[in-house]
Amino acid sequence: MIQIKELEKYYKTEEVQTIALNKLSFEVKEGEFVAIMGPSGCGKSTLLNILGLLDDPDGGSFKFNGEEVAGYNERKRAQLRKHNVGFVFQSFNLIDELTVFENVELPLIYTGVKPAERKKRVEEVLEKMQIMHRRNHFPQQLSGGQQQRVAVARAVVNNPKLILADEPTGNLDSVNGNEVMDLLIDLNEAGTTIIMVTHSEHDAKYSHRIIRMLDGQKVTENILV
Amino acid sequence: MFKNYLKIAWRSLKTNRLFSIINILGLSVGLTTALVLFLFIMQEHSYDKMYANKNKIYRVLLNTTDEDKETWANSPSIIAPELKSKIPEISKAGRILKNNFGETAFVRVKKGVFAEEKLFWCDASIFEMFDIEIVKGTGGENLNNPNTVLLSESAASLYFGNENPIGQTLIVDNRNRFEVKGVFKDFPENSSLDFNVVTPFMMQNAAKNPTWDNASFETFVLFNSNTPNVANVESLIQNIVDANVKKEDQWYNFSLQALEDIHLYSASISDSYLTDIGDVKQIQNLSALAILILIIACINYTNLITARSQKRAMDVGVNKTLGASKGNLIKRFYIETGLITAIAMLLGVVLVTVVLPIFNNIAQKNINISALFTFEILGFLMLIWFVTTLISGSYPALYLSKFSPKEVLKPTRGKAGVTSYIRKGLVVVQFSASIVLIISVMIIHQQLKFIKNKDLGYNPENIIAISISGIRDGEANKALVNAFERLTNVSAVTRSQGYPGIGVSGRTIGKPNSNESLNIQTNRAEYNIGNVLQFNLLAGKLLPKIKHPKDTLVEVVVNKKVVDFLELTPEEAIGKRVDMSLGNNAFITGVVDNFNFESLHSPIGAYAFHNRRSEAKSFLLVRFQNEILSETISNFEAAFKSVATNSAFEYTFLDKNIERLYKKEQLTANVGLLFSIIAIFVACLGLFALAAFMAEQRNKEIGIRKVFGASVMRIISLLSVDFIKLILMSLVISFPLALYFMNNWLQDFAYRISISWSVFLIAGVLAICITFLTVAYQAIKAAISNPIKSLRTE
Repeated sequence: MIQIKELEKYYKTEEVQTIALNKLSFEVKEGEFVAIMGPSGCGKSTLLNILGLLDDPDGGSFKFNGEEVAGYNERKRAQLRKHNVGFVFQSFNLIDELTVFENVELPLIYTGVKPAERKKRVEEVLEKMQIMHRRNHFPQQLSGGQQQRVAVARAVVNNPKLILADEPTGNLDSVNGNEVMDLLIDLNEAGTTIIMVTHSEHDAKYSHRIIRMLDGQKVTENILV
Repeated sequence: MFKNYLKIAWRSLKTNRLFSIINILGLSVGLTTALVLFLFIMQEHSYDKMYANKNKIYRVLLNTTDEDKETWANSPSIIAPELKSKIPEISKAGRILKNNFGETAFVRVKKGVFAEEKLFWCDASIFEMFDIEIVKGTGGENLNNPNTVLLSESAASLYFGNENPIGQTLIVDNRNRFEVKGVFKDFPENSSLDFNVVTPFMMQNAAKNPTWDNASFETFVLFNSNTPNVANVESLIQNIVDANVKKEDQWYNFSLQALEDIHLYSASISDSYLTDIGDVKQIQNLSALAILILIIACINYTNLITARSQKRAMDVGVNKTLGASKGNLIKRFYIETGLITAIAMLLGVVLVTVVLPIFNNIAQKNINISALFTFEILGFLMLIWFVTTLISGSYPALYLSKFSPKEVLKPTRGKAGVTSYIRKGLVVVQFSASIVLIISVMIIHQQLKFIKNKDLGYNPENIIAISISGIRDGEANKALVNAFERLTNVSAVTRSQGYPGIGVSGRTIGKPNSNESLNIQTNRAEYNIGNVLQFNLLAGKLLPKIKHPKDTLVEVVVNKKVVDFLELTPEEAIGKRVDMSLGNNAFITGVVDNFNFESLHSPIGAYAFHNRRSEAKSFLLVRFQNEILSETISNFEAAFKSVATNSAFEYTFLDKNIERLYKKEQLTANVGLLFSIIAIFVACLGLFALAAFMAEQRNKEIGIRKVFGASVMRIISLLSVDFIKLILMSLVISFPLALYFMNNWLQDFAYRISISWSVFLIAGVLAICITFLTVAYQAIKAAISNPIKSLRTE
């Protein structure tokens, strides 16, 4: 599903140039669950930005579903992203002014789904995440675990082929963290590809494969399943 | 999607109460100001639009050709019949004359005597030209017959109550008796013409024997067509003048002014009987101020939204990762701004109902609240809503929607630099505008104070001018002077045609053996005029105390300007014959120092007191000692009534009358003050919110500084100093601007203050104090908070 080859990304300030990704190459197959690990500053987040089509690489190749997307402009990337990628963030990033239902509904509005269909799909996914009873609450009225469930619900409501999770349990206690990991496993078993950045060895063990990075390069790759 | 945006906007308003309140309040104050001024401007522009012939009616203006180059609204009485008979494009012409050349009339009816300010002698054609509606009796045609009178509805009800006014009698100035023939509808508020009592102009001498000399009659003409060739007609008028007046006697030429221009474009035209005159310059200034305040309010909005851009960046980022396009987000921000502006607008409309009476009071206007509910205003509201949304919303919409979704994953602070510069720039713009206003208001007040305290060359304090034009009997007049002289706190009494501050007679004085002439104001007076007005006699003596009725000698007391023109010293001038339409027997007997008989806008001109029986002495001038008390006034009234039983006691104080000359400036000062307060209030609202935001943003920094030992004072100055720097910058920008504007404004005065540096110092200190007080609350709050809290939240 994803093939990256000699991917490069630099950050330039007036005086220094930092290499965030240094000729990084790997593949992720459809239905896989891959964990990416490494110390702070090793390039994980940069990688996730590029894989999530939020950012453009400075060099190398990036194929998404066989299509070369490196060099796509923002509009084209947004189009591709809208239908194929769901995001789960460490800090949930729910919109404070919207209720649980409305937060989850948002991606469907942007993809132009009709209201009746939206309602059906949002209710389905809320049911699946077991937060239907909270549908009219605002994010600040929920616990961290519940907020992350809503975030996951929002990420999957459009049935994306790929979910990118950035430290999804980073702000949660172990019980809530495990619940979120279980949700991701369920999604993966239902066929969704998941790429997760994490610092947690415990969480990484849920994945099929762990890619470890250092200074923008892949150092090891452990296959768990 | 629209509903969704609206929902987010509404909830975001509710969550961020402080910011929302400040935003809405600031905008609504700005909008209220704009609305009130729009109502005012609309009313000013609506003058004389109600007349069916509005495009065909013109007023004849007289332009003097001497060095003063004045424009008068009054023309010689012959102009009207000449133009009507000799210019085919003109179908009607009519003259108006305010009673006794601009004086209050005394109207006696069965019920008593009334002082009537709006009695006009009119040609019948005026009623036809202006389609004045008759509600009772017959109309303007009555003015072709002598001793007929037409009354306004309110005058009829004042004089006759519920009785039928038609056929009733009224006596004007104890001289003429009139029969009421008709009642016309009161003139609307926005009509330049406004009569209460109309008597036939044909009874005036000037109608019976029209001349080219006495230019005291306001003349209107009606063209046949809606689009007259004005320039062509003006040249035809010149031909008529050339045919009738010798070249050397032509001290004037004529031009035409459209009726629709009379209200707004007559500020510099003198000698008009129409008093409700606006000023297009004032409208322009007020419009500029309204726009300025609205911009300040819009800047607040932009500043507050972008100040919170970090939170917004996250919002935008999330929405973009979820598939929102830039266009979606631009729409969203505009909708949010539109919502806030709409709320502010509604609040503004409510505020207008509260503010309008106050504005009416300050601006001396009578704008009705119902004017708010018209299609024009609705259109204006829509327009201003749109414009405000566009101005306030564009920067947030275009700037924030550009945020990359990457910000969500790793918020960067790099871009804050640019926005913070823009934000600071906007604060500087706001405060520069406010400081310009503060300085302007201070200078206007200083100039007004200067006017009030300036030595005018005579002493206008403690003088009362009582109108005696209703007393026809010479003996009664003498008895009146005696009655006042007997009063204990009266030091001098005299009768005169007029007094400094009001127009008297305009003549020209010629220089012997030369073609040169000079406009001169002449005032028929008596010997005691010097004791009443207390001016400085330079040479000779004042008018003689006793004047035999058969004595044809005319004594003239001139001011220094006249002897300067004649190239004589005051002493040399004594005994010299003067050529100034006072007969062949007029001699200078005295010279007084120059005094300001007009407003300080004009330099001192030529003035003369004389004792020729050419004009009526309409005023009793009484100099009294001590301060005036209501008891003194009652004594004056009793003395007046003891002689003039059939006249109303109508008086004015000379110093109060002088204040009236500066009504426009006083108004500018009042309105300016109001606007400055509003502008500063709105700017401070923005500053307050910005300070709150800055304190919040620097929370962590403050915490760290405190942990390492910074004192509360240090933190306060840390947070305040940035703002003070901005204000200093504003001062640098605003000082030259204010200097430029106010120098221009002062040019209108012949006598003016020089702008002092202290004004700038005071304005600067004031601006810094206001800023500090606004910012200090937030700074202190941040400085005394527990550092552990701020560090923990990070």
